[in-house]
Amino acid sequence: MPAQLEARRLRKTYGGRVLLDGVDLRLAGKTVTTLSGPSGSGKTTLLRILGLLSEPDEGQVLLDGDDLKTVTPHAARRRIALVAQGPVMFPGTVLDNVRTGPRLAGEDLPEPTARELVVRVGLPSELLTQDARSLSGGEKLRVAVARALALNPEAWLLDEPTAALDAERADLIVRLLRELAAEGAAILVVTHDARALQQLEGPHFQLTSGQLVEGRPDRSGGGG
Amino acid sequence: MTYVSVSLPQLLLSLGLMAMAIAISAQNRLGLERDLAIGTVRAAVQLFAVGLLLTLVFQNEHPASVFGVIAVMVVVGGWTAARRIAHGPGTAVLFRYATLAVLVAGLVVLTPVFAFVIRPPRWYEARLLIPISGMILSNAMNGVALVFERVFASINEDAAGVEQLLSLGATPKQAVQRHVRAAMNAALRPTINGLLTVGLVALPGMMTGQIVSGTAPDQAVRYQLVIMYQLVAVAAVAGALAARFARALSFTEQDQLRTFPDPRVR
Repeated sequence: MPAQLEARRLRKTYGGRVLLDGVDLRLAGKTVTTLSGPSGSGKTTLLRILGLLSEPDEGQVLLDGDDLKTVTPHAARRRIALVAQGPVMFPGTVLDNVRTGPRLAGEDLPEPTARELVVRVGLPSELLTQDARSLSGGEKLRVAVARALALNPEAWLLDEPTAALDAERADLIVRLLRELAAEGAAILVVTHDARALQQLEGPHFQLTSGQLVEGRPDRSGGGG
Repeated sequence: MTYVSVSLPQLLLSLGLMAMAIAISAQNRLGLERDLAIGTVRAAVQLFAVGLLLTLVFQNEHPASVFGVIAVMVVVGGWTAARRIAHGPGTAVLFRYATLAVLVAGLVVLTPVFAFVIRPPRWYEARLLIPISGMILSNAMNGVALVFERVFASINEDAAGVEQLLSLGATPKQAVQRHVRAAMNAALRPTINGLLTVGLVALPGMMTGQIVSGTAPDQAVRYQLVIMYQLVAVAAVAGALAARFARALSFTEQDQLRTFPDPRVR
């Protein structure tokens, strides 16, 4: 069954500024939704609230109809992948990093599976034994995606996933997101990458002055 | 052996030592003269006050006065450990937890020792309970302060990493395990180092004191060993409690990371 991640009437102020002013957003499964907006408009805040890392002042987040406040937080977070911009690598190898999620749940991710995940995000499998902290920004991002893949999440939240990648690698990530959506995942991508926006043909929203507006940006605008 | 007493005029002579330090500061323009002068007077006032208080307590030895003094040590220890913790929830919040950690650690370590190891003739014997409790409680205080300082600072520094772990399904305990371990390690380190070098670098204060006042060295050594073991245990217990409290204070009810701005920066 396709997943569904939903935000209802989210309101969040920070330092006296209203970042989210009653935001409703429904991320349907099998769909890649894209989001853009000026910097500082609250896109990352919205991702953090949907990823359960931050609490809204008002409103609720539901996954498949369940209010996530009623679910154990760490169990709920396993179902929602949050790939931050400039993701943090944990000490150890790429393999250690990819195994983190299952390990936290007391499960062991077999090395061949980890290898498959790394290859799936477009990294050479020899990278598995490398120190994750020595990788380039683009490689770290892809390790973060592989690390999240290991938990097989129902929903994905990604913050500018193609920003640090060249066109070829960016295309690969876009293709991967479309595959994940085809498998049933609900996906939200914050991006200003015109090429990625063109390739991801799902619904598009702009966040400005705390409000979500549906619709593709004009050719002239949309930056930030 | 006779006890060698220090008369007041003899004590005044020792002020020459402070004059020496002040002169060195002045000559090298260290700017420490004022602090040294204040320190000289303050140390004298504080110690004479404590001496007076102890004399009073010893003369009217009563459980209420003995445990009253120990209670003051616990509260002052808690207050001191909760102060100046950067990136923490503030002294007012930490004070309660620090005091509780010092109290519980002190009880856990002191009670069995006074019950089974150093058995005072009377259970409220001031000359044993007060100085030994003071040493143990001050080590508990240091342990709590170190853990609070380290845990809050390192979580704040690695907030992105902690949140990354949370978002991969880590419980709060798992998410800050690395930071908590490092902090507890740091809290125990000085006491363990003391254990390893005792007698080689310096003779510990209590043993020195007992020997100076005429106790046979072998007895002074036994006392000192009991104290050293107590110091290690109390640092471990107080550090573990402080780590648990710091962890609980670092997350919201929804297991979200709370970060605290450094009050000195604001």
